[in-house]
Amino acid sequence: MSEGTFPRAVPDAAWVTIPDLHRDPFPIYQQMRREAPVHWVPAVNRYMVTSYTACHTIEQDAETFSADETDSLMKRSMGHSMLRKDDPEHKVDRDSYGSTLRPGTIKKHWNAIFEANNEKYLSELQAKGPGADFVWDYAAPYAAENLRLICGFHNATQEDMQRWSQTMIDGTGNYADDAEVWAKSAQSSAEVDAAIDEMLPLLAENPDHSLLSGLASMPIPLEAIRANLKMTIGGGLNEPRDVLATTVWALLNHPEQLASVEEDPRRYAVAFEESVRWVAPIGMYPRETTRDTVLEGVQLPRGARLGVVIGAANRDPDVFEDPEAFNIHRVKKPHLSFGGGAHFCAGTWVARAQVAQVALPSVFKRLPGLRLDPADPAVDAGWVFRGMTKMPVRWN
Amino acid sequence: MSTIIFTQPSGTTDAITVEEGTSLMRAAVTNGVEGIVGECGGQAMCATCHVYVRPEFAAALPEIADDEEEMLECTTAERTERSRLGCQIPATPELDGMVVDVPSDQV
Repeated sequence: MSEGTFPRAVPDAAWVTIPDLHRDPFPIYQQMRREAPVHWVPAVNRYMVTSYTACHTIEQDAETFSADETDSLMKRSMGHSMLRKDDPEHKVDRDSYGSTLRPGTIKKHWNAIFEANNEKYLSELQAKGPGADFVWDYAAPYAAENLRLICGFHNATQEDMQRWSQTMIDGTGNYADDAEVWAKSAQSSAEVDAAIDEMLPLLAENPDHSLLSGLASMPIPLEAIRANLKMTIGGGLNEPRDVLATTVWALLNHPEQLASVEEDPRRYAVAFEESVRWVAPIGMYPRETTRDTVLEGVQLPRGARLGVVIGAANRDPDVFEDPEAFNIHRVKKPHLSFGGGAHFCAGTWVARAQVAQVALPSVFKRLPGLRLDPADPAVDAGWVFRGMTKMPVRWN
Repeated sequence: MSTIIFTQPSGTTDAITVEEGTSLMRAAVTNGVEGIVGECGGQAMCATCHVYVRPEFAAALPEIADDEEEMLECTTAERTERSRLGCQIPATPELDGMVVDVPSDQV
């Protein structure tokens, strides 16, 4: 806000509906951003923040914009994880994850496991034959199996991981307070608790590189271990699954960019980053103001529940030229898809390794002539989380 | 207070006054120095505050710890023997007048 101007009242966006957001949020974000960086949106009962600068300001100022939201659905669904804590409490939990997710451990340990899992699930997709679904027959089980081993759930299956992840995420988004959604979420939460209780003593005896193994020897309260693992099951599955499918979908829809990537495989990493900018797998996350404040000229009261709309910030024309286009050749600028500040995604390097380094190059090598099924169109959907919900493919 | 001079690939410079103990990354981000991103807020997790330190100041820098070493392998611009992460260098009186070069690419 420049000196001498008064903060403006928050505009009301009563025209925004959840079904429209779910189908395609991007035209809605364009209109909102043109009007103001922040809107009150009655349909989602939040202030939605859509400009890059405003989202970036929130990420860098945890004192004014707290992650510890009142009446958080995520806390009810998964417990009070590090994602809903501020420093210094957040840092204790974050540090408890140790080196498991860091680039050195990925290089020394996880990459070989990701490659073996990729081989297995890509072979299963091939065995199903043309017409198989890229998301559900490959990307989802591949991401789930990687996550199962990273977490240390040697007593569960990748199908368990998928069920736990989806039902608990459904709980975190259960704004309609649907009793059946809560019941399924609670059932998964109890199953995860039981699996953790069983694994901790086993991993204390036989340590490995997993998160639970590291936690087994640390003085971290069981309640925090449970909540953080549930958050990790949620975030660690659909994000790599969705970015993998979205990137392949984008490249198949832009053959000249696919040719450019195949010519120089180092560009798979660029395609990955452009894909997460273009369609952020986590489209929105919550924050809550700790005091009356002015955000990008807009007045917000203390206790305001915010939706930080990364999916909109990443397409802000003030920062990205021609932002609605998928373009791996664009001038590189930092996107906000992995979050920023203390909550910068702990799984960033794992996602880059399993998707950009391992999966993407082998998908296009192993499936020559890969194309979308013209008879059965792919579907992209969602706004809090966005990705491909259906993607039948064919190959030669 | 120390003055740190950030030099862009184009040759333009920003001389920033940094309070003792504040990291070069935090000072650069707060003062809007172009090309220093600091995505992860200073936990040596993102490698987007990569800088090249001029050799005459190398001896006054803290040693490279394991986390920093690991992230320096992940920089977008080429890692050289002068590469450091700005978030791991707190300003000290010995660093007054230090010149660091901002790499061509950070993301």
